[in-house]
Order: sequence, then structure tokens, then C-alpha cells
Amino acid sequence: MTSMAEPLRRVPAAYWWLTLLLVLTLMLALGYGYRQLQERSEAPLFRVVVNGEALILDGESHAALGQELSVLAGRLDLHLRDEMQPWLDARLDTAFAPLEAAIPEYLDWHFSLRGSYLRLAVALGGDLDEWLEAQLNERLLERSNIAAALEELEADFGARLVEVQQRVVGEIGSTLQTRYAPRQAAARNEDELPTIDLDLALEGTLQGRWDEARWGTAGAGGIVGFAAGRALTQRLVAGTAMQGSRALMARIAPRLGMHAARSVGAGAATTAATAPSGPMALLAGTAATAVALAGFAGTEYALLKAEESRYRDDMHAELELELTRARAEVRQALEAAASDWTQSLERSLRRGIHDAEEAAQIPSQYRILGSR
Amino acid sequence: MAKRLSERCRQVLGRHGHVVLVAGLMAVWALLGPRVAAALLLPVWVIVAQLIFLGSFEAARLRRRAWLGQYLVAASPWQRWLRGGLLMALWHQGLAILLALLLLVKLRLLPPVYWPVLLMSLVALVLIQQLLKRRLQRHVIGEYLAALVRRLLVWPAGALLALLLVLTALWLPQPYLVGLGWEEAVIRHTSTAAGDGLLGAFERFGQALELTQFWAMQNALERHGLGQGLILFGWFLLLLTQSAFAWAVVRLAVGADALRDTLGHFRNAGRKDAP
Repeated sequence: MTSMAEPLRRVPAAYWWLTLLLVLTLMLALGYGYRQLQERSEAPLFRVVVNGEALILDGESHAALGQELSVLAGRLDLHLRDEMQPWLDARLDTAFAPLEAAIPEYLDWHFSLRGSYLRLAVALGGDLDEWLEAQLNERLLERSNIAAALEELEADFGARLVEVQQRVVGEIGSTLQTRYAPRQAAARNEDELPTIDLDLALEGTLQGRWDEARWGTAGAGGIVGFAAGRALTQRLVAGTAMQGSRALMARIAPRLGMHAARSVGAGAATTAATAPSGPMALLAGTAATAVALAGFAGTEYALLKAEESRYRDDMHAELELELTRARAEVRQALEAAASDWTQSLERSLRRGIHDAEEAAQIPSQYRILGSR
Repeated sequence: MAKRLSERCRQVLGRHGHVVLVAGLMAVWALLGPRVAAALLLPVWVIVAQLIFLGSFEAARLRRRAWLGQYLVAASPWQRWLRGGLLMALWHQGLAILLALLLLVKLRLLPPVYWPVLLMSLVALVLIQQLLKRRLQRHVIGEYLAALVRRLLVWPAGALLALLLVLTALWLPQPYLVGLGWEEAVIRHTSTAAGDGLLGAFERFGQALELTQFWAMQNALERHGLGQGLILFGWFLLLLTQSAFAWAVVRLAVGADALRDTLGHFRNAGRKDAP
């Protein structure tokens, strides 16, 4: 009897082979896919030494680290400026404070009887501007010791910059370490991994900078010297109040006779004594001047005092303004030097990393700062 | 007395040897070391897949035959064309291969606590089978009795096992994953004991799936903000994996029974033909 259920049972043995074939195909396909996946996820493992710890990172984390390092390096300039600015402001305040304090003292002298006479005498006898410069230099700048203070500031600025830089670069290292230590990948053959020593690169960068830093501030030092030196006194003299005070002399001078008046008005180096009017005229002129001066002492003192009250405040303000400007210039010069230096630091940081990667023979597509 | 007991034992073993064999196969597979298991993956996979395939193919053909008998004339050639051939076989082969893979991977990851549950439900399966057979004997055409019993067996036995597995999974301690990110949870709790090969990869994948399920359930309970979607996902994963595993186990046992039946039938036919 052919059973009704016969076809139910008739499962050919070929199905065993079919199963074997299917399983084998599936295994081969999955095995291949798995190997591919493994290769892709294992190929780019890197060992990055940062902040004294060797981190093992896969390609993705490594790229992220590179990007972050790049951003941090790019922000180095800003970061440093933020760190340096309050310090620099405070130091500039202390450096310029004696100078500002010396202004009233100078003005006291400037408008004192003695000072006025001296000015008048110099106005009659020589180049008032030059003399005023010398006076300012002696009574204002030298007395307040600004040059020494600025020199000291320069030196401190350099040292401080290096110190802050060291700290900031150290912070970059520790930031990267704390951010990427938990993202480490497991590696079986750790020693064969390409190693990028960021610590070495960062340290090398700072080492190289140390000497350059001195050179850098020496360059800035020239500007500081300029601001604190003769150019400053020249600018101080050129102020309008100072010129107004000088004009006062010009108005007083007519009482002293035409000759002297011309001399004062021109502000030239011609004096009454060297006027080309022959020996007699010279004698007469000198005598007239002396008489006029004596008369001035008697009659014009009140006028002088009145003018003083008129010009003194303006002069004070002007001197202070000039000092503020000089201060801003010094500050700018120092900051420009710092910025230059930071930029070169950043460049050499990039170069250091590039060299480190070159030494580790990292394929170019995995390089931290691009393949350059 | 003892003799009768041992005879009874042999009788039970003879009648349900296939279930014992299946349980033994599963236990051995679960106990193998990672290297041996990786080496034996191909034959074991083929055997298990073939057993599952046999059971489900038989059930599918039974279903098809009922349908054909309902609508087609007995003499029609369509009866032969539509009774289930290569296409049906391929479909059930694919299903069986995937189920076998799931079963094998899950067995490798199974904590020992599950084994009593598994064995208990295999015993239950045998009991249900006997009960069904006794009940259906008087009503079903003799030729189809065994096949029909097997077909009807899958649902109750599978549901019972799935229920027990879900309860065990909920009762067992889980790794504490509250507050952890998914990625962190998976990385921290995936063991590296499995080998490097394909089986190891599957095992890790299975672990990750399990951890995902725990993570979703725990974090959905803790963080009310994440809420509904996550907890649904967790429960869905739990029910899906456990019931798929249960289904695979029952299908394996049923398939072994079917194979035994077929072999026994052929042997009987051979004996009949011999004289």
C-alpha cells in the first residue's frame, strides 16, 4: 500500500546537502564580513603619549584628538592674552604711577617764579623747546625712574609669558589626557603601534621658545625705550598747553624790546647777544634786556600768576593724556611681541607634531594636523 | 522490581530517546570550550538546522496537503506540483538555519540556572505529546497522527517554555546599568572570553543584544523622561529573544521526533519488503 502520508515522510537526503551548502555559504559570507569589519576597526590604532600617559586610540578618537589639539593650539593666542592682560595692566599701572605722581611736582616747578624766569631767560637766549625737553626729561622722567621701571617690566613680561605659556601648554596636555583617557581602545600588540609623543613635541616647542622669547622681548624693548625716551619728551613739549605757555612768553616779550621779541617769537637759536647789529647794538640790546627783565620782575608777576592758573590745568591734563598714550603704546608693543611669539610658538607646535608623526610613520590620512 | 524499573526506563528511553539526545546535544554544546565549539560550529549548525528544518517542513507539507485536498481534484497534476518542493524547502531551510544559529549562540550564553527550566520543559513537552496522542488516537487518521501531534505540540510547548524563560530572565539578577550610556554599558559588560572567530562574534553580538534589553528596561524604569518607547523596546526584545529561543528548542525536539519517525518508517518498510 502506498501510504497517504508517504510524501510527508519522503524528505530526500539531498536536503542535508542543501543545508550544508547554505550554512557553509552563510558562514563564509559572515566570516568574510566579520573579518572586513575587524580589519577596518583595528587598522588605525595609535599610541599617543600625552601628559605622561600613553593612550591607545582608534582612528576616530585619534582624529577627534587631533582636531581638538588643533583648536586648542589655535586658541593659544587668545588664551595667553586673557592670562597676560590683567597682569600687564597691573604692572603698567605700577610702572607709570610715579610718573603721573611727578606731574604736579613738575608743574609746580614749571610755574614757580624760578621756573618762569628760567623759561623766560631761555626763551630770550636759546631754543626753548630743547631746553624744555631737557627739563622734562630731568624733572619728570628721570625723577620718576620710568625707564628702569619699563626695563624691569620688559624682563618680567618675558619671564611671565614663558611661564604662562608653559602652564597653558601643560593644560592642553592634561585636558587632552582627561578627555581621551576614557576613550581608549584595547590593543593586543601595543608595542607595534605607531607612537606619537605629543609630550615631546610640546616640550620641544617650549624649549625652543625660551631663547627666542628673550630675543622677542629685546625687539619689544626697543619700542619700550622709544616710548620712555626722547620721543616721549618731545611729544610732551609739543602739547598745546605747553605751546600756550610758550605763547605767553611771546606776549610778555614785547615789553622786553623788539629784538628779544623776535627772538622769542621765532623760537630760533638766535639770541640778543648774537644779533648781527654790530657791537654797539649788541651792548645796547643786552642792556635793554636786562633792564626789561628787572622791570618784568616788578610789574608782571601778577600777570604770570594769572596765566599760570589758566594754563596749568590744561597742561596737567595734556601731560597725563600723553602719558596714557605712551602707556598704551608700550602695552601695544608688548602685546604685539607676545602675539608674534605665540604665533611662532603655534607654528613650531605644529611642526613638532608633524615631526613626531613623521617619526612614527603615520599614514597621511590619519595625521593630526593634516598632511603637510 | 528493580528489573521491571530498568525495563521501564529502557522503554521510556526507547520511546523518547530523541528528546534525550537533543538535550544531550544542547548540553554538550553549551559545555564545550570556545576553541572546540568554534571548530565544531559547522557540523553542529548543519545538524541542528536540518533537524529544525525537518520538523517545520513536515508541518508545512501537512498544512499544504490539507489545503490541496480541500480544493483540488485528487487526480489533478497540480496535487504534485503544489505539494511543496524546492521553494518551500529553501524557505524553511533559511528559517531553520537562522533559528539554529540563534539557538546555538543562546545556548553558549545560557547561565546554568536556565538548565533545570529547559529540562523541565522538555519533560513537559514529552508529557503533552503523550497526552495529545492519547486524546487524538481515536479521532485522527492513523497515518497522520504522529505528524499532527507534532504540529499541535509546537504551540503549547513553545508557549510554556517561553513563559518560563521570560520569568527566569526577570527573576535572575541583572548587571546594574542604570544611568550608564548604552555604549558604555555594552563595552563594560561584554565579556571577552569568547574566541576571535565567527562564533565569538555572534556570542558578543548576542551579549550586546541582551545588555541592550536590560539597559532599555532599567533605564526606562528609572528615567521617566525616556519612558514609553524604551520600555516597549526592552520588553519587545526580551519577549522576542526568549520566545524565539523557546520556539527553536521545541522545533528541534519536534524535528528530532520527525526524523526518528521517518527513519523508523523506512526501517519497517525495509523489514516488510525483505521476505
